[in-house]
Amino acid sequence: MRTLVLGLGNELAGDDAVGVLVARAVRGDLQDVAHVEESSAAGMALIEVFAGYERAVVVDSIVTGRNPPGTISEMGLGEVGRVVAPSLHQAGLPELAAVAERLGLGFPSQTVVLAVEVVDPYALGARLSEPVAAAVPELIRRVREQVLRWEGAPCTTTTPSRR
Amino acid sequence: MSSEILIDPITRLEGHGRIHIFVNDEGSVDHAYLQIPELRGFEKFAQGRRAEDMPQITSRICGVCPMAHHMAGTKTLDDLFHVDPPPAAKKVREMVYDAFMVEDHALHFFFLGGPDFVVGPTAPKAERNILGVIGKVGLEIGKEVIGVRKEIRDLMNDAAGKAIHPVFGLPGGVSQPISPELRDRFVAGAVHAVEFGKFALQIFRDVVLSNAEYVDLVTSEAYTHRTYYMGLVDQENRVNFYDGHLRVVDPDGKEFLTFEPRDYLEHVAEHVEPWSYIKFAYLKDVGWNGFNDGADSGVFAVAPLARLNASDGMSTPVAQEAYEEFFSTLGGRPVHHTLATHWARLVELVNAAERMGELAADPEITSSEVRTIPTATPTEGIGVVEAPRGTLIHHYQTDERGLITQANLIVATQNNAARIALSVDKAAKALVHGPEVNEGLLNEVEMAFRAYDPCFGCATHSLPGEMPLIVEIRGPQNELVREIRRD
Repeated sequence: MRTLVLGLGNELAGDDAVGVLVARAVRGDLQDVAHVEESSAAGMALIEVFAGYERAVVVDSIVTGRNPPGTISEMGLGEVGRVVAPSLHQAGLPELAAVAERLGLGFPSQTVVLAVEVVDPYALGARLSEPVAAAVPELIRRVREQVLRWEGAPCTTTTPSRR
Repeated sequence: MSSEILIDPITRLEGHGRIHIFVNDEGSVDHAYLQIPELRGFEKFAQGRRAEDMPQITSRICGVCPMAHHMAGTKTLDDLFHVDPPPAAKKVREMVYDAFMVEDHALHFFFLGGPDFVVGPTAPKAERNILGVIGKVGLEIGKEVIGVRKEIRDLMNDAAGKAIHPVFGLPGGVSQPISPELRDRFVAGAVHAVEFGKFALQIFRDVVLSNAEYVDLVTSEAYTHRTYYMGLVDQENRVNFYDGHLRVVDPDGKEFLTFEPRDYLEHVAEHVEPWSYIKFAYLKDVGWNGFNDGADSGVFAVAPLARLNASDGMSTPVAQEAYEEFFSTLGGRPVHHTLATHWARLVELVNAAERMGELAADPEITSSEVRTIPTATPTEGIGVVEAPRGTLIHHYQTDERGLITQANLIVATQNNAARIALSVDKAAKALVHGPEVNEGLLNEVEMAFRAYDPCFGCATHSLPGEMPLIVEIRGPQNELVREIRRD
């Protein structure tokens, strides 16, 4: 399978669950055309998850404070913020892509990130906040559409070197 | 009156933190501190749940150290249900846990500590990332890291269920024995892991130790604190990640205290400050005497440097040699240089790999006797492991049906929190003079706490925001004087 759908998040932590929930919602539908994974790992630990796929859709929560909760932003790899930050588990997707290429692991040549602005990703046991829950159907629709659009299009690839 | 410099990192994949630096009218730093968010509501979240579910639940709290929480939770269940696992079960648990330590320490060395430590803080920004590390140490080690991690994760998956969320520990044992085939793969995996560890140590010697500038950085006063150190040790006072008793040494390296994990609360208390919601652990037997180091301050440290300091040695030969080299190079035990923790981490990696191999070669490791069924009524349990980032404690109280009435976790970073605060404060005072700061200086302050690889309270996963790092300099009336953007 050449397409990855990756839902990132902590399913126990309120709005942070949104990526994982979306992944679970699309898994059955997309099983013939994509591998759907979920992960609460962070940063460089994800490098192995992306290896070997040509295309990926990533769903995650985001906290910018600049958009109303529930706002969905679609970004390509180049638009995800470059990271120079305090967490050692911090690595942005651009860093992952660059390192993966360098190590010959292969990284999807097309990556779409769907980030939904959340209210509170820190509250254990909390349910999704209303605006974020309201965004879930739209997220599901957009993940499906993106994957199916790729399926219909001729495929462009970077070839990962075989290890 | 003072002005405030705020480092507000919004671009994060894991948690959120901000550093506040208060500069007084004379232009020097009054005080600097790190604010770390944490997941809220654990106590309430745990109430009413079955205690047996806690190893799975708590492993989901942290995407970085799931096996550490799983194992601490499992050992807490042993205590809670007053049950002692059979010897084979303990060996299986320790072997799998050591595999996790190898995997995590391997990730850390190359991908996480590297950009600061291998490349150096004054390197151009463009190099201060993983690609810079690859440039410095070569492609080979990067590929080795990936290979070792994959092999270890496959082993853990087969022994313990999904590697990210293990389903392995039970009160009184583990869920399944190790088959002979899996044992053989653990043996092979350990051999590769030891080779990798030796390779990593050699890279470290060649790239870091041979460079005087790095050595000066490691031993500089700005990154040095003379605190107490704590870690789990075995009967011979050697480092053990899975089990043992807790040992504390004083700033001169002399044994100060030993206690069983169950007595943790008699010796460690938590101090609260108004400017942070993290609780700062300190030694009750010394007392809280502010954010200071020295023998009169109850501030202590955990994690690789602390574990080596608190022990008399390592339990395996190659690691022991590395341990001796570590201390003889840095002037004897204890070593107070925070940045030396990156080196200590490699010593531990080798130890975990060797120990994994020892246990895999033990004839008892494939025994089918891996569970003692608990029969006693549960009451209260405390379980302790050494997570990669330091001592981790789980504490559960239940009703007679085993439903949680109270639960508390003390994560590694809480044990280090006071020392982290000290580090940020000291680095800021040494490096920041007046409100005119540059990005390089700010990075050096951040390096002070990056070395601890803080848990950030088992934080969450939100994608980095789009905004770059912003530093705000504010005057006495809190008016914005200047803004520095970091991209």
